[in-house]
Amino acid sequence: MILHILNRPPSSSLAYRDALAAMDATDRLLLIEDGVLGALTAQIRHFQAIEGRLFALREDLSARGLEGQCDASVQVIDVDGFVTLTEEADKTVSWF
Amino acid sequence: MASSEIARYLDTGNGRVALDPEGYLVELSEWTPAVAQALAAEEGRELTEEHWEVLKVIRHFYERYEASPAMRPLVKAVGQALGPEKGRSLHLMKLFPDSPAKVAARLAGLPKPANCL
Amino acid sequence: MSSTVDFSGDLLVILRHAPHGSSWLREGLDTALVAAAFGQTVSLLFQSDGVLALTKGQGAGPLGQKGTAATLDMLAMYDIESLYLDPEALERFGLGEQDLLLPAVALDAASLPRLIAGHRLVLTF
Repeated sequence: MILHILNRPPSSSLAYRDALAAMDATDRLLLIEDGVLGALTAQIRHFQAIEGRLFALREDLSARGLEGQCDASVQVIDVDGFVTLTEEADKTVSWF
Repeated sequence: MASSEIARYLDTGNGRVALDPEGYLVELSEWTPAVAQALAAEEGRELTEEHWEVLKVIRHFYERYEASPAMRPLVKAVGQALGPEKGRSLHLMKLFPDSPAKVAARLAGLPKPANCL
Repeated sequence: MSSTVDFSGDLLVILRHAPHGSSWLREGLDTALVAAAFGQTVSLLFQSDGVLALTKGQGAGPLGQKGTAATLDMLAMYDIESLYLDPEALERFGLGEQDLLLPAVALDAASLPRLIAGHRLVLTF
C-alpha cells in the first residue's frame, strides 16, 4: 500500500486528478493543508473512486473551521494517525 | 557553482586571473591553456598530452550541456570522445588524482561540479 | 505497448511544473542528476505542466535565466534514459510527440500505478 498525500484542493488545482490516476486499488489518499477542502460534502464527488481509502487531517480541517462540513465517508485522523498511516505504507508520494 | 568571491589571484606568467576560495576561476572567460598550466604547476602537476585531451573533452561537455560533469558522465564523455581504453575511472584517477571531476573542471576553467561530493 | 516496459528503478522523479515559472523543475532535474551520479537508476515522469519541460525551442528567460534544454540533453550522459510522460497533459496544451526534444514513453492509465509501485523512492517536484 502506498500513501498518497495531497495538499491542493480540487476546486483550484488538478493535482488531485494526477494523484487519483497514480493510485492502485489498495492505495490510500490523505488530504492535508488546503487539500482538506476536498473532504467537504460539497466537494467529495471528486474522490468517489476511492471511497473508504480517503483520509483528512483533523488539524487542518479544524484550523479552517470545517470539521462540521467534512463528509461522513472521509476518515478524519490527527497527526498521530498520520504517523500510523505512514508506518503502514510501503512508501509515501506527495502531490502538490 | 562558480563563486563570485575573489580569494586570491593566480599569476599565469602573462597576467593574472582571479580565483574563488576553492581555487576555481571567478571569470570563466579568462581561461587560457596558460591558466591550466599555472593551476597545475601550483599543485606540482605537469600537464601531458593525455591531460590536455581530457580538458578538451570536459570543456566541450560544459559548452554543450552548460554544466560541469560529475565523475560518471565525465567517464562516459571521455569514453565517447577518446575511446573505451581512456573512458575508465582508473585512467582519470591516474591523470587527476583525488577527485578527477573536480580537478579537471578546475584546470579547465569550469565551475565546480554541482552534483558530486 | 507500455505494458511490456520494465518499470523498476531506485528513484522516480515526477516533474509537475513548467520551466521558468518556478525553480521546481530545475530542482527536480538536479535531484535526478545527483542520484544518477551516485549510481542510482533514475526514471523521470513528466506530468501536468511538467510536460512543457520537453518542448523544442526552449531558451533562456527574459532576465537571462538558464533554460532546461541543455540539462535535458545531458540526462543521457548520466544514464537517465527511462523517460515517461502523461499523454493527456501533452494534449491539454495541443502538443504532440513531434514537438518534443526527447522521446518519452506515453503512459496509459494502468501503467502509472505500476510505475510508482516499481520504484523504491518517489519524489514529486
